[in-house]
Amino acid sequence: MTPLLPEYSLLIVLGAGVTGITLLQASPVWYINFLLLLLLSGVLFLTRTWPDRGFYLACSGEPLVVACSITNLWAGLFVVCMVAGMVCLASRLLESRKDIGVFALFCGGSFLIALVIQWSNHVLPALLVFSTISAVILFVLSVRTYQFRNYYSGA
Amino acid sequence: MLLRRCTQGLCIIGFILLSGAIILDDMPLLLAGGTLIAGILGQYLVFDHQIRAVVSSAEVRRSVSRNPVRRGMVLQVTTRFTFRGTPRMHVQISDLLPPNTLIADGTTTITTRPDPTAQEHLCSYRIIPLIHGTLNFSGISVTVRNLFFEDTIRMTRESDQKPDITVQPSALFAVPSSESSEGTRDNRKASIWSSIDIHSLREYITGDDLRHVDWKISAKHDKLFIRKYTQPTNFPPLIIVDLPWCGTPCPEKEFERMVSEVTGLVKHTIQTYQYVSVLFISGPNILHLIREERNMSRCIMELREWMHPSERQVHFYRMADRSDLRSRVRNAEHALEQTTDNPTQAFCALLHNRYISILQYQRTPAFSGQVARTVSQLRMTQAYLFSLGCGDTSHIRHVVRPLKTQMIRVHIRMIEATHPEKPATSEEPADAAGVLP
Repeated sequence: MTPLLPEYSLLIVLGAGVTGITLLQASPVWYINFLLLLLLSGVLFLTRTWPDRGFYLACSGEPLVVACSITNLWAGLFVVCMVAGMVCLASRLLESRKDIGVFALFCGGSFLIALVIQWSNHVLPALLVFSTISAVILFVLSVRTYQFRNYYSGA
Repeated sequence: MLLRRCTQGLCIIGFILLSGAIILDDMPLLLAGGTLIAGILGQYLVFDHQIRAVVSSAEVRRSVSRNPVRRGMVLQVTTRFTFRGTPRMHVQISDLLPPNTLIADGTTTITTRPDPTAQEHLCSYRIIPLIHGTLNFSGISVTVRNLFFEDTIRMTRESDQKPDITVQPSALFAVPSSESSEGTRDNRKASIWSSIDIHSLREYITGDDLRHVDWKISAKHDKLFIRKYTQPTNFPPLIIVDLPWCGTPCPEKEFERMVSEVTGLVKHTIQTYQYVSVLFISGPNILHLIREERNMSRCIMELREWMHPSERQVHFYRMADRSDLRSRVRNAEHALEQTTDNPTQAFCALLHNRYISILQYQRTPAFSGQVARTVSQLRMTQAYLFSLGCGDTSHIRHVVRPLKTQMIRVHIRMIEATHPEKPATSEEPADAAGVLP
């Protein structure tokens, strides 16, 4: 018997979570969540030998994130973390303690994003906050990269 | 920094989601798009950290098969790269060639698999320098890629450009290009009818060579006039200076005397013939040619620049001239026919076999051809060769042979350390240690 791939264990957790969320919320379009979960499972199964598997998983996971967060933002955050975990496991990005730390940081960052969205009434202010933070990070990185290149080019 | 294909796709999806969020003012879309972009940004931070680790641990050490090298010669380069890899990172390192070099064969790039341990890789290739001077390697190029990003960093610090390659010139053997712009070739060889001066003019007679028509005078007088050239004049001798190798000590006193003799002869030649040509060799290496120099001070300056012990790319050790070997084979055969004495016959047969085997395996050195091509550009009837006679002198025979072939009288001035007050002057390198007996 072949052992279960690690990303399938996360799929089981995700399936259980999505079922629980759907049942608790008693949404009139409850079947959408299950259909999207089925889509993600199908992609996970079909792309097991493909290169760039993480890309296909992320693409098929995003609709489920949107569907779950329509009724509850924290349910969406849960799906984001599960899909990200599956992408990381499928791409072998969770092999060391350092990788797990990076993944935990991503989950923390996603929590902060969800928090900002929760407090914000409209998309634009929240998006401005995210854009500013991203621009600052990119600017700092660009300066550091420029200095790094300069050092190694002997300038 | 380049985004790889899957990252480009994820970025497009992220921007579509964020655009949808703005247009529809929809928070779930913002959460999906925002987390996706945050994930890509996080991966970029990880990639940036890893590329720094790889590049800062990268080191390069090169070794070249010979330095200095002559222009156009093939040079073997072995490069050793060391670096510490990181998990999931593919590293490709390329050695950047010096400018103005061609790669003859081999590979300058190594590609590694993801491995977090310290790695050492070798690459070996051959290059051909196209210009002379000091050439530096351009450094190395490190390309790092993971699942999401790819980046290339050129390391061009001084330590990454070592070693400097000294390329010596070697274009003395090419026939000089024509100075005419009419597509005609300039034949610089002296012939029976052409010389440096026009002696007189006469009217054209049927059968005269039309190439000798003086068109300017002909147009003036409306008649064809033929140029009559002077008979070949005495051309200045070619001065060949055999410089000692800087790798062994040379007798300073004798060297100074050789310098003063060469300088004196150069001055005398310019005064007598208006110009002089000096060829500098060092063993079987042609270093420099002063071609038909008329300016005394410029010529002396060049003598000062070149007259010192020199580095040798090629060394001969008892490299016999093939023509000499052939004549020795013939002599041995003749002696074999003449003699009836058994021990003498055995000795002659042994000698004959030895010469034959040397002839089979010893090819004509490139130096002989270079000398022949160089002297073929110059007009002369005699040549002076100055040498200290240090070390192996078999190359002298390879200088003398092409000159003799062109009916040029050669005077060899061997300034020996043992008899400084009485330099040997002969037309043949009688005491050339390198020539087989």
